[in-house]
Amino acid sequence: MKVEAVPKAEEGNILEASRDFLGKLLREGIVDYLLVPMEISHGRTLVQTLVKEPAHLDKANPFSPVMPVSSAAIVSQLTIDKPEERLGAVLKPCEIRALIELVKLGQARLENLVIIGVDCLGTYEVEDYARLIDEMKGTAEEKGMQVLADMRQHIAEPDTKPLPVPLRSACKMCNSFTPVLADITLGLFGGENVISVNLESGLVEKLGVEVKETANRQKSITQLVDSRTQTREHVFAEFREKTKTIVGFADCLDTCIRCYACSAACPICYCRVCFFRTDTFEPESGRYYRWVDQEGALRMPTEILLYHLTRLNHVALSCCGCGVCESACPRGLPLTTIFQAVGDGLQKALNYVPGRSLEEEIPLATFKETEV
Amino acid sequence: MEFEPKIVAFLCNWCAYRGADLAGTSRFHYPPNLRVIRLMCSSSIDVVYVLKALLDGADGVLIGGCHPGNCHYQNGNYKAMRRVQVLKDVLRQVGIDEDRVWLRWIDASEGKLFSETVDQMVSELRAKGPGSMRTSWQLWQETAGCQLSGTESGPDK
Repeated sequence: MKVEAVPKAEEGNILEASRDFLGKLLREGIVDYLLVPMEISHGRTLVQTLVKEPAHLDKANPFSPVMPVSSAAIVSQLTIDKPEERLGAVLKPCEIRALIELVKLGQARLENLVIIGVDCLGTYEVEDYARLIDEMKGTAEEKGMQVLADMRQHIAEPDTKPLPVPLRSACKMCNSFTPVLADITLGLFGGENVISVNLESGLVEKLGVEVKETANRQKSITQLVDSRTQTREHVFAEFREKTKTIVGFADCLDTCIRCYACSAACPICYCRVCFFRTDTFEPESGRYYRWVDQEGALRMPTEILLYHLTRLNHVALSCCGCGVCESACPRGLPLTTIFQAVGDGLQKALNYVPGRSLEEEIPLATFKETEV
Repeated sequence: MEFEPKIVAFLCNWCAYRGADLAGTSRFHYPPNLRVIRLMCSSSIDVVYVLKALLDGADGVLIGGCHPGNCHYQNGNYKAMRRVQVLKDVLRQVGIDEDRVWLRWIDASEGKLFSETVDQMVSELRAKGPGSMRTSWQLWQETAGCQLSGTESGPDK
């Protein structure tokens, strides 16, 4: 049975409380290693870090307001060959969903993994966050705390407390920002300047937490789900209106330079060697000349639509909406909108929700004899 | 001159491809609009090949596999069916006519069915007219840029 509890810490210092809690996971031997976002460059940015020594956790921020990569891909690296080491991975809800999809695709394993899910307040683009920190006054620690406090206030009072810079577009349309399949949850919603943890009741004493329920959690979640769902529907409706013709779809990709940054960043796009990087689509020079001989003119690099349409077919069903594709895109193409909107259509048609459960098979990996 | 659709056909070696052979040896007539590519199984087609054909100016794509229960590899045709279902959904969502992709079950013994299927497909594609993608250069001349307001104009600015 899981219980909700609050880690003991100095008044209001949620980062201290969470570090202390994570440190205990290591010291009590619940995990051997932790994967957690840590501050570098004096707090200007955060990166995923693999930690063994609890002393290093002084720079940890499990509620990192940036997401430079999806950690699902990192957990895949760290678990794929069934290591004996027990890993605790601090993951945002979209990262957990992507991880579940990777497990179903045979690209990650859960055996020795403790998923520490966090409530997500949304994330900023990496550049925006660094600029924001530069403009603030105080120590790195104070700035980090202030950013989180501002985000919590914005969620509580969206109309009167605007955010200093906009969230990443994926986060603005995200309506599943609380962890679903986590072993331990670090909660931010509903509590007044505290974090809550949701964990197996057997761990309460070991980890020195106080069993106590945070008020208003569900209420504050429901409000945000409603407003985010509204944004989502608006974005999807606009995209669907535009893509009634292939020209409208091509509009959304017209400045693509086919650099593959989106697929390199995508946690679901896991092939070691992408088909588009083989001789099939990067052929000998003569093929281009023969091709243009027929067509008259040929956009270079070629196959921009083919690349994105193929990726849609391969990954949109499992798209978890993390939006790292769009953040990675040097042209700022609306990739989150494209993959989330098309993915939403596919997922509804096949009654599939990526990352919802381990038992639910990915529709393309299974079939029913009765459906012909 | 009347429009003649170009069709790229991906046919399973064990059924539809032999059905096409039988149509030939049985002297069943069907229009010469097909370019046939033989596969070992309808499930061995990645959508990238279907998309490539459509984007490079094919007016239709025919995928021929074994009847359900008859797959030479037990269940490849079921997998092909799911893949084609997803492909058609994506095509519809990005503004490409999904009815230009046909998945049909045709046995090695069904030469007649093969010729009838091609007949029917060609006449339906003639009625539809050319696909939207004669050349991709034309398409890039018609685009006008993204112009999506996205999350900017939503309630959660």
